[in-house]
Amino acid sequence: MKGQQISRSAVMWQLLACVLVSLPHLSWLPAWIPVLLMLTLGARVMMHLGRWSLPSRTLKLVLVVAATLGLIFSFGQQAGPETMVALLVVSMALKLIEIYRRRDALVLIYVAFFVLGTAFLFSSSVWTALYALAALVVVLAALLSIHQRDGVSALQTLRRVLLLAAPALPLMVLLFLVFPRLEPLWSVTLDSGGATTGLSDTLSPGDVSQLAQSDELAFRVTFDAEPPVPAERYWRVLVLDRFDGRQWSRSPQRERLRQEKLEPLGGEVRYEVVLEPSQRPWLVALDQPLAVPDWAAVKPGRTLEAREPVERRVRYTLVSHRRYRLQPMLTQQERAHYLQLPERGNGEARALARQWLAQAGGDSAAFIALMLNYYNQSFTYTLSPGRLLGDRIDRFLMESQQGYCEHFASASAFMLRSVGIPARVVTGYQGGEWNPHQSYLQVRQYDAHAWVEAWQEGRGWVRIDPTAAVAPERIESSADVFLRSVDSGQVASRALQTGWLLGLRQRYDAFNFAWQRWVLNYEGEQEHLLRDWLGGLDYWRVAAFLLLPGGLVLVGLSMRQWMARTLRRGDPVEAALIGFQQRAGACFSRRQPQQSLSAWIHSDLVPHWPEAADELMQLAELDNARRYRYGAQDDQDQAILALTRRLAKQLPRRTRVV
Amino acid sequence: MLLREQLNGVLDALQTVLLGKEEPLRLALTCLLARGHLLIEDLPGMGKTTLAHALAHVTGLSDTRVQFTSDMLPADILGVSIFEPSDSRFRFHPGPVFTQLLLADEINRTTPKTQSALLEAMEEGQVSVDGERHALPTPFFVIATQNPSSQYGTFPLPESQLDRFLMRITLGYPAASVERELLKSGGTRHRIEDLPRCLTPEELVSAQQACEQVHASDSLIDYVQRLLQFTRDHAEFSYGMSPRGGLALLRCARCWAWLSGRDHVVPEDVQAVLAAVVTHRVRAADDVASREGDRLTARLLEEVDVLG
Repeated sequence: MKGQQISRSAVMWQLLACVLVSLPHLSWLPAWIPVLLMLTLGARVMMHLGRWSLPSRTLKLVLVVAATLGLIFSFGQQAGPETMVALLVVSMALKLIEIYRRRDALVLIYVAFFVLGTAFLFSSSVWTALYALAALVVVLAALLSIHQRDGVSALQTLRRVLLLAAPALPLMVLLFLVFPRLEPLWSVTLDSGGATTGLSDTLSPGDVSQLAQSDELAFRVTFDAEPPVPAERYWRVLVLDRFDGRQWSRSPQRERLRQEKLEPLGGEVRYEVVLEPSQRPWLVALDQPLAVPDWAAVKPGRTLEAREPVERRVRYTLVSHRRYRLQPMLTQQERAHYLQLPERGNGEARALARQWLAQAGGDSAAFIALMLNYYNQSFTYTLSPGRLLGDRIDRFLMESQQGYCEHFASASAFMLRSVGIPARVVTGYQGGEWNPHQSYLQVRQYDAHAWVEAWQEGRGWVRIDPTAAVAPERIESSADVFLRSVDSGQVASRALQTGWLLGLRQRYDAFNFAWQRWVLNYEGEQEHLLRDWLGGLDYWRVAAFLLLPGGLVLVGLSMRQWMARTLRRGDPVEAALIGFQQRAGACFSRRQPQQSLSAWIHSDLVPHWPEAADELMQLAELDNARRYRYGAQDDQDQAILALTRRLAKQLPRRTRVV
Repeated sequence: MLLREQLNGVLDALQTVLLGKEEPLRLALTCLLARGHLLIEDLPGMGKTTLAHALAHVTGLSDTRVQFTSDMLPADILGVSIFEPSDSRFRFHPGPVFTQLLLADEINRTTPKTQSALLEAMEEGQVSVDGERHALPTPFFVIATQNPSSQYGTFPLPESQLDRFLMRITLGYPAASVERELLKSGGTRHRIEDLPRCLTPEELVSAQQACEQVHASDSLIDYVQRLLQFTRDHAEFSYGMSPRGGLALLRCARCWAWLSGRDHVVPEDVQAVLAAVVTHRVRAADDVASREGDRLTARLLEEVDVLG
């Protein structure tokens, strides 16, 4: 029993391990669970110091019932991973107070391992990984310490842990490379801070400017070749085709429209998008994508939509053509659809549009030029346009004359429609920040943008960006740079991003991107890698690849065991001497037990084998010195081995001399 | 080197008075070097006393001879405190045990009480009389003789007392040629005085210390241990040898090796002293009279493998 008890340092390691593995969950666990953990930790210390005795059966029962009720109360019917993790933490906390023997401690430590693993359900950042690694060392130390005596220093324990864990490292890398990422087990991620910001499927004034306050990452893009210039980086996400006088939205009838026809005209770009979770199904694509991933579909308006909302980071490759002709012909129904406007309201805007149309002589291109020119004269592009009441488009056009992209897009689409030019509002992102360290484009929420597409006879849908007319620097540089230049007060959070700080941030982001791309979203690479390595992905190849390393390790281990068993008989010199003794004994007379080797050589061999007398005496001398005088010495051992070999060869072929 | 030659000179000198007895003499000298006590078991008139006298003479030790009888009391050996009227106090008069070489003749003739008094003094190197301790001189070497216990009127030493003797040897009859020589020369007693003094007691002590430095390798220790284990594992031994017996064996083997001119022990050294050290410490299971020690020792020698 005593041998099974746990040393003082082991208890300390266990407590530390429990605290460390629970810390990542602190943010979302109901408050009573950390409190329970602290209480049981304290109780454990008191018991260990001998102040308190182990809890009685009744007390334990009460605690279990209370904790169970607490869990039911906190999580109710909810059977998500959170409940399970909370259950694990609670059971770990309760187990703490009844550790008496090694077995109990083992249970605790195994649960701790598991709790540590669940940290990745909630966050998979590189920091979590580093933290988990550090905590893992502590848990391993706790595991090790229950097997060692008291009085081993913490440093020594840690060193032993690292030493013991080191051989597992290659295996870990191998498993990372080849272990299949099984759905759905692999894809359980709960980024519970997931009140994501992003584009919504409606657009009213102020929506995009609100997004401009957020520097949260939207997506990252790597290009196969040179990236397009900033003015051509239009990332389409949604097409809004219905205006109700206040806001633009997606009409329910849009599903009935036919697929739009795209004629690519060149400017091909191949790129890969890593989209952050948005909880929405829509995907971003550079204006205009050709093929789509098979888990997504092209919607009318040529936007991309995944079958499921994007709840975890996704990665997809697209090819876009920057020059194209989209939908050169419109049916009557489509034309009506894209001319929809409320019956009344914004009369001044309609009047202004009619005036321009007359001025342009009915030509839509000229009309657009007039409109953009109008913006260019006296409009201000700002993040804080102030509130607009009543007919917002009228107020914007006639009075405030300041707004953010959505104001311009909304007004432009309205006026286009009012004079019979089919138009729609497109939202998405424009620009992005180029990260030179990993060569990728990083697009944040403040890059959100809204622009207009107008349909022109023969040219199809044409992108019109009123913002480019008002504030061309917004389009040509990144939103970040532009916003800093116009509204430094609004974007205080980004005021620091200058000089070396900007470089530092870019490096950090590049590092994060690499982590996400190569470690977290490794599945895609895995397939390529395996195909490259194995020359194919047949079942037998994969199976052989998975089984071979393990098999080799097993064979190696068993060889070692076997070798150790045979070697245990003695060192090679001893074996050589025994061999010689047996062969010479068969030739002459066997050594009697009371004869030492040298006595036997002198009395039984030398007289009967005078030819080898010198060598025999030398052997006797060497053996005596080795066995009884100086102990084993390397050169002497070599001499013995050589002598026995030589003598064994010279052994006369004759029968035993009596 | 010089010491060793002197010791070999001792051996040569002894051989001139005890003809043809090289092995027992060498064993006796080994016993002296190993700071042990010697029991010579033999019939009367075989030269036991001569050996003791000659040894004392050539090593320069003071010697005393005590003839043990059945009416002897411990005080007759150890000494006695006597009241001195002149200064009104007891004064200790040392007994014959206060000498460097004590020849205890026919130790099995006296009572166990007296026997144990002597053996206690041998073991502890000191004598306690009336609560006062008196240290014995160093070196202190006892040669006890006894006649084979089958003779009438003796008190055989029990095992525990036999164990106090490092060695037990017998001298045996001389060879025919040697005996003829002996008869011609007409005894030897007078010649002991003519032997050279080869050694001082101080030199003897340093020789004893030199012996302790002799190297015993692991292989050799293993062999000694196998010997001990053999006596414990086999049923014909009534009881196995004690660790003290093992230590005695190794100590004697060291001295034998030193006398033979080596700085390390080889199995032959162990085998040379084996009979003298072991025979009186083992007893066959079916042997009440303790006569079969020789047979057991021979078995031990033949069956325990030197190399393991």
